[in-house]
Amino acid sequence: MATVLPEGGLAPEDVLFDRSARTRWRLGFDRYAGYLLPLLFLVAIIPIIDLVYYVGSQALPTLTYAVLTSFNYRVVDALGVPIVSTAEVMALATLFAVLLGVFGGVATAEFLSDSAAGWVRVSANMLAGTPSVVLGYFGYFTFCLYFGWGLAFIAGVLTLAFFMTPYIFRITDLAFSSIPRHIREAAYGSGTRPYQYILKVGTPIAFPQVLNGVFLAVAIGVGETAPIVLTTTGSKILPQTLFSPVTFLTALIWEDFSYPAGSPAIALAFQAAFILLVVVVGLNVLVRVISARYRKRLEGLYQ
Amino acid sequence: MSATPTANGSSVLSVEHLSVLAKERYLLHDVSLEFPRQSLTAVVGPSGCGKTTFVRTLNRMVEMTRGLHVEGVVNYLGQNIYDPGVNPVLVRRRIGMVFQRPTVFPMSVFENAAFGLRLVHEDEDAIDKAVTEALQRAGLWDEVKGELNRSALGLSGGQQQRLCIARALAVRPRVLLLDEPTSALDPMATQRVEATLRRLKEEIVLVLVTHNVGQAARISERVAFLHSGNLIEVGPTADILERPRDPKTQEFITGRFQ
Repeated sequence: MATVLPEGGLAPEDVLFDRSARTRWRLGFDRYAGYLLPLLFLVAIIPIIDLVYYVGSQALPTLTYAVLTSFNYRVVDALGVPIVSTAEVMALATLFAVLLGVFGGVATAEFLSDSAAGWVRVSANMLAGTPSVVLGYFGYFTFCLYFGWGLAFIAGVLTLAFFMTPYIFRITDLAFSSIPRHIREAAYGSGTRPYQYILKVGTPIAFPQVLNGVFLAVAIGVGETAPIVLTTTGSKILPQTLFSPVTFLTALIWEDFSYPAGSPAIALAFQAAFILLVVVVGLNVLVRVISARYRKRLEGLYQ
Repeated sequence: MSATPTANGSSVLSVEHLSVLAKERYLLHDVSLEFPRQSLTAVVGPSGCGKTTFVRTLNRMVEMTRGLHVEGVVNYLGQNIYDPGVNPVLVRRRIGMVFQRPTVFPMSVFENAAFGLRLVHEDEDAIDKAVTEALQRAGLWDEVKGELNRSALGLSGGQQQRLCIARALAVRPRVLLLDEPTSALDPMATQRVEATLRRLKEEIVLVLVTHNVGQAARISERVAFLHSGNLIEVGPTADILERPRDPKTQEFITGRFQ
């Protein structure tokens, strides 16, 4: 139903209709911005699509089930060893990083004084901002040389764990500090001990965010090269002891890509890169799915 | 405020066949209501009946919530505020709003009251005058006149809420929407806010959402009762509260459901 505007009868400030050029321009811009933004989004994801397409086109023609699962070190074209080695490194590194990051984050959010927490946060931010190659050299000098472990599986694991820790720490700290004050007070007001608060009230609220942080840290860590190539050396077999050499997927890409074009090593590097892409994308999708599921469950908490 | 002729006589704001849908579900269903000049209409009803949604449709604040669809007409001086040619910013300058909890900004008392005026580029003298007047109309002037440059966050809850009323009044709206303005306040502060509203209704149109029947009885002359998105009845406060025609209204007033 259209309303007839009573011309002349209204005080100027009561006129709600706005036909000024400026407003018309704004409304027009508003409308076209709606089309422009998806276009800009497309521009932003073109490099990613290109990357996936290029790596995929190089890797997929030769990527067979046998390549993925063969552990035969005499066969050059086999990724079984690097994939399982990578999984082992990541599992141990994530374990260390979660222990350090989650406990550190909870302690910082719940127990430290404001000034101490401030210093810890600054340190964590500095660690997160440290280039991974610097951290790689730290691991090399500390674990490989000072501790005398040589280029060892465990040196790579610990260096990678130090690289991943600040991400987990920061998100845990944030998750626990952003629990609404009234929820904390209600919990302590009903007589919980601090550890009971953390386990029974804090963890259910913070858990999805922490889990997201862990998955993101894994996604970032699995793509890291420098902390690994500086502290370990490649191997054709699975690591036998903590001090064995080990082949990480990114390290394999780094080394094999230096071979001349057309050599089977290059094809293997592309296959490894494709698998890494799939893993990283998969982890990120998983993060989205988990956070969407938990966000629904916690709706209403922040009212 | 100068008397201005309006398109349809005595009402500044009227609602015709107003519905709000969230997907397929009606949050508000076919509500028609008039708000005459110099009146305070209390919108009452149980929790979740659509009171808040209803006042938020009156100045297009409802559009801030995604996924809601508004049907029908809200008439402000003969202009449908949902007409495509209408600028919602202008709507909200003429139809102000005060929320449940005090929403002062982290600035001085003066700057809080002047906030809306600064958006329309008035000169300093005009702003000075309008702020004083708004604080007086909101009944806060005597308490804050010596400390206009202090942070508004230091005021008590009741003072903050009256400062929010002053902020809304400073741009001289014709209509002020109040969404449970005293639900976060103590009885003394509530009394002050109610006194302010009683004075204000001589000047402008007030629409007050409240879940407190006593408050409606104290300061409104008209009551509209909403129940699950439907307008059950509307009429003079005394009629509705003492001789409700609908059993649902009866039940609500006697406190059988909240």
